[in-house]
Amino acid sequence: MSIATQSHSDLTVVRWQRGVPVFGVPVRTKNFYFLLALTLLGFALVIYRQVAGLGAATGLSDGFPWGIWKTFNVMSLTALGSRSFPIGIAAWLFHKRRLHAVMRTTLLISFLVYLTGLLAIAVDVGRPWNVYNFFSIFRWNTMSPMWEVLWCMPLYCMFPLFLENTPPVLEQAYYFFPPIRGLVVWVVPIIRMTYPYVVALAYVLPMMHQSALGGLMLMAGTQVQALWQTPLLPLLYMWAAAFIGVATTIGAMMLCCLAWKRPLDQSILDELVELMVKLIVWWAIVRMADVVIRAVFLGQFMKMLTPWYLPLLFLAEMGLIVVPALLLRRKEVRENQYQLFLNCFLIALGGLGYRFDPTTFAYRHWSRTHYTPAVIEILISLGFICFCIIAFTWAVKRLPILPAPVEQWYESENYYKKIYPYIQLSGYGDKDQHRPSYAD
Amino acid sequence: MSLSRRDLLKLGVVGGTACALPLDATAAEHRPVPPPNAVGMLYDSTRCIGCKSCVVACAQANELVPDTTLDSIHQAPNDLNAHTKNIIKLYKGTGAESSEYAFVKRQCMHCLDPFCVAACPFNALEKNKQTGVVSWTPDKCIGCRYCQIACPYEIPKFEWDAFNARVVKCEFCGPRLAKNQEPACTFVCPTHAVIFGRRDVLMNEAHKRIASSPGKYYENRVYGEKEAGGTQVLYLAHVSFSKLGLPSLPADEHPGRWMRWSEMAQKWFLLPVAIYAGIAAKLKENFREHEVETNEEHKKTGLIPQI
Repeated sequence: MSIATQSHSDLTVVRWQRGVPVFGVPVRTKNFYFLLALTLLGFALVIYRQVAGLGAATGLSDGFPWGIWKTFNVMSLTALGSRSFPIGIAAWLFHKRRLHAVMRTTLLISFLVYLTGLLAIAVDVGRPWNVYNFFSIFRWNTMSPMWEVLWCMPLYCMFPLFLENTPPVLEQAYYFFPPIRGLVVWVVPIIRMTYPYVVALAYVLPMMHQSALGGLMLMAGTQVQALWQTPLLPLLYMWAAAFIGVATTIGAMMLCCLAWKRPLDQSILDELVELMVKLIVWWAIVRMADVVIRAVFLGQFMKMLTPWYLPLLFLAEMGLIVVPALLLRRKEVRENQYQLFLNCFLIALGGLGYRFDPTTFAYRHWSRTHYTPAVIEILISLGFICFCIIAFTWAVKRLPILPAPVEQWYESENYYKKIYPYIQLSGYGDKDQHRPSYAD
Repeated sequence: MSLSRRDLLKLGVVGGTACALPLDATAAEHRPVPPPNAVGMLYDSTRCIGCKSCVVACAQANELVPDTTLDSIHQAPNDLNAHTKNIIKLYKGTGAESSEYAFVKRQCMHCLDPFCVAACPFNALEKNKQTGVVSWTPDKCIGCRYCQIACPYEIPKFEWDAFNARVVKCEFCGPRLAKNQEPACTFVCPTHAVIFGRRDVLMNEAHKRIASSPGKYYENRVYGEKEAGGTQVLYLAHVSFSKLGLPSLPADEHPGRWMRWSEMAQKWFLLPVAIYAGIAAKLKENFREHEVETNEEHKKTGLIPQI
């Protein structure tokens, strides 16, 4: 495999330049069928849950009305889906141009995670036939964080995220399916005209509903333990979503490059790490300041210490987030791929813990009822995650999404030319007759 | 022209501390007021004999299926649940207080500023503007169970076993109130341990009882006068309320307190719209620059730019 080279003193530096499909790799592998089976099982159990009712399919009770579908799939996992807003804001508003290279990957993962998050809500909702109330404007309680979540999530997923994910599909259609070219050439200028407005919406909506997810627990008042419960919860939740998103983006890029033998662009990873560390340091400062202020000035110190295991959980969470972040400030840790992945993994774990705990361990800790997720619940949740993975692997093998050095683009052209001789992926110069009009 | 990141962070930190500090200081201004014709119940634990007539009457009036899970013969629910809107529980002291006992009637408190109503996304739970009764409308409820998460008294119950699952809680016997009858539980109570009336009248009555026998009642106070901003169901007891399972909630612990800042931020969607406008303006400019750049690159490499 050739690697893009730019002589940079005496180092060989890889640069991600274009999204290139993972070519020459079969989609239907053994793992694919395994994950597909889990997905189908999950979706079959969804039907069972709809027929049998919530009580039969889940371990939920009046003491713990929200199970893993809400606390894990929605509250925690959508943080992974919100990865595109911190990276996008850094790329578009703070001129981190290089980060555009990973945008397609992040947008695809965002879309899939949100789609399954929405499915999880749909499965979790106990009276789904009343969902038409979304549109009955006189029944809205716009001050309810739940209303905001229920509106912003589908809106974000169906509108900005969907539109942002169309370019790879259109691009592939343009190259591989000539009859549709006219349509692509007609659609692309519209996308480009509306792009800034759609993208701006793609930043505001996740900020709104990620903070609304924090707002959800705000309404639980003192039932959430004092270490977590704060009026800043919406802000901290949104912020946590931002750095978890960046951490998992780094992890996902590394895993993809490992799985499909692609070179890693250290400069982009460095920029992502820099962004993540900044986000984490400021998040940690704000969170600690908030805890200290409430402990010292508002007299909540004793409340924070009971029961004994919650302060430990708090420390574990903060440790998992802050220690790797501080380690990653050192160059040798960042450039050691194993250490980089491990630290990002720990940060994501700690961040997800932060998003998970207020709804579970730190919620009604005095309650005598306990909640253990039922097997069906876990299988459905797992099915959704497997669906994300197979959809992702399918998409990156068929669409130009994963970034690569430009040499791989030419390689892919050579590869596809053997199968589709009419393919032309490069060479649209200034004088080329077939130069697409939307490239102007 | 636009905020730098440092400014943004400063704003966040300063704003954050500003949010945290006045949390308790300004809470007093936001105390909820009872509706004009607020109805209420006064439950006096010292008068209750634990006959559970009210439990049966409640089930009868609300056409609830008897809960016989205990011995499959008797209607003997062990807690509030999907078939029980009202229950009598017994507190028995242990150790040095082993002679101490008290009954407690648990049901919806009909808060003056209810968490469940603030939480409900489609107003399925509503507080009547005249009587202050919090009731549930099946048509509007999507079954998200956020009311259960939000309620500090853990009152709303969900019908887990049913396909057409309902949210079950005391609704003050709405149909009976409409017919000018009092709720079933107060109607049948043989010792008048629980009485029905206007909230202000009952409050006076409770204070009169405390005044006439000082020291009899716990802390000489009425539970529900200030708890969580005040409730319409009031309690008198000779043992501490926490022993009866009634949570100790400060007077400012109501949704208005917790949601004040988010409400301000969300007011008329001004903040999101402002952020949107700012981002869109800056983005449009940067997008144009980006287009120029990609076009140049396109001319150089001959590859179609990727959006």
